[in-house]
Amino acid sequence: MKEDSLLKAYQEQPQVWDEMFGADGIRPEYTHFVTAIENLPASEMTRKDELAKKLFMSQGITFTVYSSGEGIEKIFPFDIIPRIIQHREWLHIEAGIKQRLRALNIFLKDIYHQQFILKDGLLPASLVYSCPQFLREMMHVDVPHDIYTHIAGVDLIRDNDGQFYVLEDNLRTPSGVSYMLENRSITYRIFPDLLPKNNVQPVKDYPDLLYRNLLALAGRQDSDATVVLLSPGIYNSAYFEHSTLARLMGIRLVEGRDLIVHNHFVYMKTTKGLQRVDVIYRRVDDEFLDPLAFRPDSALGVSGLYWAYRKGNVAIVNAMGNGVADDKAVYSYVPEMIRYYLNEEPILKTVPTYQMADPDLRQLVFSQMDRMVIKRTNESGGYGMLIGSAATQEQMDDFRKAILEDPRSFIAQPIISLSSTPCYLNGVLQPRRVDLRPFALYGPSGIDIVPGGLTRVALQEGSLVVNSSQGGGSKDTWVLGE
Amino acid sequence: MLSRVADTIYWLARYMERTQSMLQVIRTNYIASQNEIYDFNWRPFLQLYGDLTPDELAQLDGHSTPILTHLVLDRNNGASAYRNILQGRENARAVQDHITKEVWQSLNDFYHVIRDPEVGQQITHEDPISGLDALLRQALLYAGTVQHTMPRDEGYAYLGIGKCLERAIQTTDILRVRWATVKEHAVHPLDAPALRYLLYSLVGYEQYIKTYKGTFNTENVLQFIVYNTQFPHALLYSLDQLAYYFGRLQPESLPESHAHVAFLIGKVRTAVRYSRLSAQEPEQLTSFLLQTRQQLLDVASALNTSYFGYN
Repeated sequence: MKEDSLLKAYQEQPQVWDEMFGADGIRPEYTHFVTAIENLPASEMTRKDELAKKLFMSQGITFTVYSSGEGIEKIFPFDIIPRIIQHREWLHIEAGIKQRLRALNIFLKDIYHQQFILKDGLLPASLVYSCPQFLREMMHVDVPHDIYTHIAGVDLIRDNDGQFYVLEDNLRTPSGVSYMLENRSITYRIFPDLLPKNNVQPVKDYPDLLYRNLLALAGRQDSDATVVLLSPGIYNSAYFEHSTLARLMGIRLVEGRDLIVHNHFVYMKTTKGLQRVDVIYRRVDDEFLDPLAFRPDSALGVSGLYWAYRKGNVAIVNAMGNGVADDKAVYSYVPEMIRYYLNEEPILKTVPTYQMADPDLRQLVFSQMDRMVIKRTNESGGYGMLIGSAATQEQMDDFRKAILEDPRSFIAQPIISLSSTPCYLNGVLQPRRVDLRPFALYGPSGIDIVPGGLTRVALQEGSLVVNSSQGGGSKDTWVLGE
Repeated sequence: MLSRVADTIYWLARYMERTQSMLQVIRTNYIASQNEIYDFNWRPFLQLYGDLTPDELAQLDGHSTPILTHLVLDRNNGASAYRNILQGRENARAVQDHITKEVWQSLNDFYHVIRDPEVGQQITHEDPISGLDALLRQALLYAGTVQHTMPRDEGYAYLGIGKCLERAIQTTDILRVRWATVKEHAVHPLDAPALRYLLYSLVGYEQYIKTYKGTFNTENVLQFIVYNTQFPHALLYSLDQLAYYFGRLQPESLPESHAHVAFLIGKVRTAVRYSRLSAQEPEQLTSFLLQTRQQLLDVASALNTSYFGYN
C-alpha cells in the first residue's frame, strides 16, 4: 500500500480520521493525486514546496506583523498537499450549510422584529438579551431583501466517525477567502495538469458572485451604483485580503475617513468632490462602525452611518447585529431553529454544547474539565479558549474562577478530535489536524457556495488550534466533480 | 480617485524626492567637510533635516559619524532618510492597487537597502560615500521605474505634482542655506568652492560648467539655479513641470478646485519668472526665496483642502 518512501513514513494516529488514508488504504478521492506524486523524488517535492513559498513572497501574499514597531512581512504558511473532498460529501456539506444559513437568516429577522422564537419559548430571552452582540439598535430595522447573512464562513470539522460537525457559523466578517483563491492559483503552478485530471471544481467565481450580490443590494434606480469595501486600513492583519477582493471585484477600497454622511446619505471623498455610496462591504466590526451609535472612540467607522443604514439609504454587508446568531451559547439552539423555522431536520451535526450559566451542566463540566474545550461565547480567532487535555492545573483554575464570575460568557464542548491530513513538512509527510471553512454567499437570488473553501491546518504536532493568528497554515481544498 | 489615495500618492512622491535631495546634499556636505577648503559647518543642514536642540547640535560639531547616523539612519529622527523611505514605502503599501508592481518593488528594495547592515556599516565606519551612493542609486531606480512603468493616469499626475512641488521647495531651501556661506565671500568674484558645492548639492555642476564654459561667478550660478529651464533642479523648471502635471488633472477635477490651485501655481511661477534677482543683493534674494517658499506651501495647503479632503 505505502510502497514509496514518501508515503511509507506516514504515521496515522489512532482515534483520528485521516483524510487521505482509510482502513483499506488510500481513500478513492485521493488515488489520482497520490498516483501523480508517489513516484516523485523527494528533491522534486522539496522544490515544489520552495517554489510555492517563493510565489507567495514575490506576489506579496503576506500579512504584516507590527509587533517590533516596523512592519515585518510574513507569509501565511501554505502546505502543498491539497485536501480533497469527494463530490457526494460536498453535496451533503452544501445542503447542510444552505439549510443552516436559511434558518439563521430567518432567526436574525425574527429576533430583530417580532421575536416569535422567544414568545414560543424555544430560546430563553435572557440568553439573547445578555448577548453583547445583540444590538438593540437593529430592532425593527428593515434590511434590503431581508438578508442579514450575506457572507458566511462556516467552520466544519470532521470527528473520528467521519462525520462533519459545524463548529462556528461566522456570520460577522469572516476572512480567509482570498487564501482560498490564492492557494488555488499556486496549486496549478506547482502541480501542472493535476486540477483538470482530477476534475477539481473551480473556485474562481467567488468574486463575481459576491459582486453580483453586492450590486443587487443597491436600492437606487441607477445603473451605476457605487459599491465600496470598507477596510480598517493597512495595519489590519487581513489588509491583503481586503485589497485583493477590492481589486478582483473592481471596487474602491475605502477607509472610514474616506466616507462622510450628509443628510443620511453616505458619500466618499474623492478628488472630484463627494460621490454617493450605495453599498458597503465592510470588514470593520459592528462596534467600530459608527462612533455616534456604538463605540465613541472608534476612528475606523463613519459618524452617522447607522442612521443612513436605518433609513435604507445605504446597504451594509453583512448586516449589523449578526453577532447574536454567532454567539457560541446561541449556537447550540441552531438545530432547534432549523426545526422551528424550516420544519426540517438538521443536515449537519453540531457539537454538543454546555451552557455554563446552567449550574448542573457547570458541575458536570468542572468534574471532567480535561475532556472539554471551554470557550468564551463572544470571541474568535482561537482566543479566550481552553483545551482541557492540554491545559495545566493553573490554567484550569483560572478558567474555573472566570466562569464562576461570569457564567453566561462561557460554554463547554467535548473535545472533538479534528481529522488529520498529510502535510509536507521538512521533507516528509506528517499528519496534521485540519478544519474546513467554505464560504457561502446569500444574495437576493439565493445561496451560492463555491465548491471549495479554506482548509486550515494546525501546524504544531498534535495541536487542535488551526487559527492563523495561533500558528496555523492552510491548504488548497479540492472538491471533485461528479 | 479617492482623496485619501491621491493624498497618499502625492506624499509618496514628496517623500522620495525629499530623500533623493537630502542624500545628495549630505553626500556633498560630507565631501566638503573632508576637504576643509573653507570653514565648513553642518549646522544649517542638521537644522533642516533634524530636530536636535542647540546643545545636542553643539555636541555633534565636527563628528561625521554621529552626524551621518542622525541624518541618514536614525530611526528616531522624524526627518532622517530612513524615516522618509519608511514612510514612502508605507504609503506605497496603502495604495498598491494604484501604482505598478514595479514601483512597489523598487520602494520595497530601497527600504531593504537602507536596512542593510552592510550599508549602515559603510556610512558609519567605512566609506560613507559608497554607502550614500548605494542609497542614491535606489532613488534613481525608483524615479526611472515610475517614468518607465506608470500609466499616465490621475495617479501619475499626483506623483508628478508631489515630485515637482517638493523639488521646488528643496531647491529654494538649499539655495537659501548655501547662499549664506557664499554671501560672506561675495566680494571675491571667484569664490569657487562654495558655489561648486551648491551646484553639486543640486546635481547641477556638470551642466553648469558646460553652459558657462567653466566660468564661475555668483551671478551666473544664481541665474542657472533659478531661471535655467533646461536644468532639471532649477526653480523655474520645477514650477513649469508642476504646472504641467497639474494641468493634466483638469478633466478629473471640480472646476472651482482646479481654478483655485491653478491660480496659486500660476502666481508663484509668474513671480519667479518675472523676478530680477541679483547676487549683489543677498538680502533681497533671501526674502524672495522665503516668499517663494511660502507661496509653495500655499499651493500645498490648497491641494489639501481642494483635492485631499482636509477641512
